[in-house]
Amino acid sequence: MAHEHLRLPLSVISQGDAMRLRRELAVLDEYIKQAELREPGTSIKALPKTSTSLSEFTQDNHLNMLKEEDRANATEFLKSISEHAPVIHISFASDPSAAFMRKLAAWFRESIDPAILVNVGLEPSIAAGFTIRTLNRYHDFSLRQQFVEHRELLLNGIRGTAKQAKT
Amino acid sequence: MTIWWLAVILVSLISAGIAFIWLISKLNRLSAPAKTKTEQLLDATNSDVEHIFNDEFREELRNRGRLHFEKIIGENAMFLQQDLRLTTSQLNEYMKQELGAKLREEFSKYEESITDAKQMAIDSIEKTKETIEEQRQQLAQQMSTEIEAEKQRLIDRFEQNMADIINHYLLAAIGKQIDLSDQLEYIIAELDANKVAISEDIKHGA
Repeated sequence: MAHEHLRLPLSVISQGDAMRLRRELAVLDEYIKQAELREPGTSIKALPKTSTSLSEFTQDNHLNMLKEEDRANATEFLKSISEHAPVIHISFASDPSAAFMRKLAAWFRESIDPAILVNVGLEPSIAAGFTIRTLNRYHDFSLRQQFVEHRELLLNGIRGTAKQAKT
Repeated sequence: MTIWWLAVILVSLISAGIAFIWLISKLNRLSAPAKTKTEQLLDATNSDVEHIFNDEFREELRNRGRLHFEKIIGENAMFLQQDLRLTTSQLNEYMKQELGAKLREEFSKYEESITDAKQMAIDSIEKTKETIEEQRQQLAQQMSTEIEAEKQRLIDRFEQNMADIINHYLLAAIGKQIDLSDQLEYIIAELDANKVAISEDIKHGA
């Protein structure tokens, strides 16, 4: 397929980002089609302002959005991504920064799947670390889980402290 | 003549009547039976007795008898009083002895009963004390066991939830100081370590 060589930019991380990019591309496509049908002498609407994600997407994939073929490939690719791309949910104790998420998305796309989408959630109770949820499994890499796994170590530490306090 | 004759006739009639009445009474006397000799003696005795024991004599006798009777009564009353006093003192002495003996016996029995009752009460109190002491010990042991169990339960619960407690404490204490950027290295390392598993999940899930 023509869009197989395309890849998502690091600014498009979540399913929401992909949907927004798809809508933006549809609006742009519609605008260009309307412009092509415009009769000479009539006024033209201003070009819709493109987002950073779309700019990055076109630059990374060397696409010319004025070409219908490129737009069609991009639309098809984004549709395929929206419908079939693997999705992973990752939660942190606080809101991650954009730079942080780019690095994380880069790792996922390099190590797991180039088309993977990462949905970010907020779970303040984990204190630190993160949790990952896929379709089948749940991975807990939080500080809370670390405490649970090393409970004996903690207990021994507390008991040792209590014994020292008694003596 | 007539008047004379009439008077004569009347006198003759009255005389004849008087003579008739006298005759009749004479005849009645002659017709009553004659009393026996014994009756006559009795009558005579009665008559003599009536003559001798007249009212004055009887009154005299009555007075004498009354005085004599009073004298006898007075003498006997004195003797009776003495006897009565003696009897009373003897009776008192006897009563004292009897009552004393009875009382001593009763007091002895009473004292014995009191001693038995006291002993029983002491035994009962001792048993009660022993029972209370046993119950106290059991209760103390039970309380101690329950306190120990509760303590252990609390410790177990604390140990089970310790991770959450410490996590909560850390979150409250330094939660705001934990920066995600500082954790990136750790997160990437953990992801690298579980890359295969995550990849497998993604492939199978997709």
